[in-house]
Amino acid sequence: METKTRQFRQNSAAALSDANVQNNLAGLYSGFHSARITASAATSDWDELSDVGRRIKAHVIENLDYYLEMLARNVERAGGHVYFAKDARAAADYVAGVARKHSVEMVIKSKSMLSEEMGLNERLEEEGIEPVETDLGEFIVQLAGDTPFHIIAPAIHKSREDVSQLFREALGSPYYEDIEDLGREARVQLRQKFMEAGMGVSGANFLVAETGTVTLVTNEGNGRMCTSMPKVHVAISGMEKVVPSIEDLSVFLRLLIRSATGQMLSSYVTTVTGPRREYEEDGPEEFHLVVVDNGRSRLLADPDLREALFCLRCGACMNACPVYRKVGGHAYGWVYPGPIGAIVSPMLTGLSDAKDLPYASTLCGACKEACPVGIDLPRMLLYLRKELTQGDNYPDQRSASAAESAAMKGWRASVSSDGAMRAANLLARLGQSALSRGGHISKLPGPMSGWTEHRDFPTAAKPFRSRWREMKDQ
Amino acid sequence: MSERDDFLANIRGSLGRSAPLDAPVSDAPHSAGPPGELDARVEAVRELISRDADNLMSVLARVAETSGWKVARVADARAAGEYVLRVAREIEARSLVYSLHQVVRDAMPLDALSEAGMKAEPVALGHESDERDAEDRARLRTVMEASDIGVTGVDYAISETGTCVIIPHAGVSRLVSLLPPVHIALVERGQVLPSLDELFTLRRDDFVNGNLGSYMNLITGPSRSADIEYKLITGVHGPGEVHMVLVG
Repeated sequence: METKTRQFRQNSAAALSDANVQNNLAGLYSGFHSARITASAATSDWDELSDVGRRIKAHVIENLDYYLEMLARNVERAGGHVYFAKDARAAADYVAGVARKHSVEMVIKSKSMLSEEMGLNERLEEEGIEPVETDLGEFIVQLAGDTPFHIIAPAIHKSREDVSQLFREALGSPYYEDIEDLGREARVQLRQKFMEAGMGVSGANFLVAETGTVTLVTNEGNGRMCTSMPKVHVAISGMEKVVPSIEDLSVFLRLLIRSATGQMLSSYVTTVTGPRREYEEDGPEEFHLVVVDNGRSRLLADPDLREALFCLRCGACMNACPVYRKVGGHAYGWVYPGPIGAIVSPMLTGLSDAKDLPYASTLCGACKEACPVGIDLPRMLLYLRKELTQGDNYPDQRSASAAESAAMKGWRASVSSDGAMRAANLLARLGQSALSRGGHISKLPGPMSGWTEHRDFPTAAKPFRSRWREMKDQ
Repeated sequence: MSERDDFLANIRGSLGRSAPLDAPVSDAPHSAGPPGELDARVEAVRELISRDADNLMSVLARVAETSGWKVARVADARAAGEYVLRVAREIEARSLVYSLHQVVRDAMPLDALSEAGMKAEPVALGHESDERDAEDRARLRTVMEASDIGVTGVDYAISETGTCVIIPHAGVSRLVSLLPPVHIALVERGQVLPSLDELFTLRRDDFVNGNLGSYMNLITGPSRSADIEYKLITGVHGPGEVHMVLVG
């Protein structure tokens, strides 16, 4: 997927002035966010689950090489193939190679954010293979030539009118008033594809090391089709998705699903361990698991960012985030939006290009509170801000200009002693006289103009100490 | 070095290690009781689900309703068959497919369905030759796709979440519960587990005994989507109408 993290300011401004997008975003809070709170409150041992989940994740990440080796061994023991891809390109090439080997003409896909990272659809199209997104939201996004807006609800920025119009133009269907009719149209359109496709591609929510099992959490049933109907199934997964034991799934399924949609369990949870066995009635003859790094090892290598790999991709942090709920998913410019995206995207695609993302937060802490595994997102956002300005860990990624650094140094000098502060105050009061109107400045000049773009700047006032002295004298 | 070795070496390097581990550097936190006592836990689960079967059935009936199933309680397999017939008549079904769970074999009202002019076909291969199986598989897929109802048994049900668990094996297709627009699941007494914890403990035991199989579906209500304007719709790809029949 093309990286547009540099355009955060323009793209968020565009989203803010789009009434349709604002209207559709408003539903996130009353929808997913409230449902999560209700579901976690209905789970009596939620805090305990959350704590165990976090500890298991920490343990796995600390021993990641060990569990990935165990996973690969057990997938192969179950008759599957495993490929470790260092980057998006290698992963997409491998999947395209499997499709080519089987002379596949059409690939059916269930929702996977990693597939967006990999640019898999574009890669398959290069080979003349038709990729078909089968999740309703992804189907809409693909028809529109768009990108996902939310990791759980990819097309949530589109209204029913948008979708009806799109279906009429792209599929030649009648203009439907009802969402039910739109769903039925998608069912009919995609059924035939399910029957014909030579290969299915799915993501993975959890990989069980001990058994070599891929676990999928879905609601529509397209994930079941993609993993059961075609002759070949390829599952793609980020390397951080591994858990040690199949018994851990009971903890993580609760945490993920209740945080994502607020359901006690999604309509479908599917586990896949290798291809179909000889005695089975149906299922794929060949199974591949592609485990992808694509920059995740940079998060792993930095102890300050490592816990970003605990993420279950539930989307709770974005639903809770006051910034995401206004600027929406496209503003963040890459696959993962919201607070977790503001940490993951810069590290996977380039920190200095994404320098606005760690600042796209009020640091209110709602994301940390919503996270089912307690990821300390505000701490990491602050850490990235520090690294962007003066940290030593990513020196070539620093984005502050020499002038900004000098200004900040000057600021620090001016407030670090009483005398310096009084001198600076005096200078400011002398300098501002030409700009101030009735106790505020509504327009600062040159590089400082940003400070007054949306609100007035208060003028420097006479220090309290001087005023106190004057009052006492009166 | 192979790509895999490079990949794993890079992870090790990121973690500040150079040699592969023989064992994890710390103990895995256990989510389902103390490690090394799987046998005892399995024993406890088996004891619990038989001792508490009545209560678990009642809780399941209540929760399944809230998770989108139409729930019916019947005395025996024959009564379950009558229920299937009633649903088939109600939706004016022309054809049904079913899996070969024992309870379904016992329940399917084949004569009555045939008298009512409805076709009913089991989804099962001969498993005699690969060519023959491939032909049958293709044919059965078309049959399932065109059928109005799929009837299955289950391996377990979960009262915590109102869930049916189906583990495909010979005579139990992955697709009978997926392709037709209506699914009827027959749950027997003694199959109901209190929660996801017990399910995965039993599945771990299956794995240890070489019986994990390739696939498992947990089904909780109808196929759902809220992808357009958060509005919940059912039956987008899987069945939009699901029945859970509690037998016994």
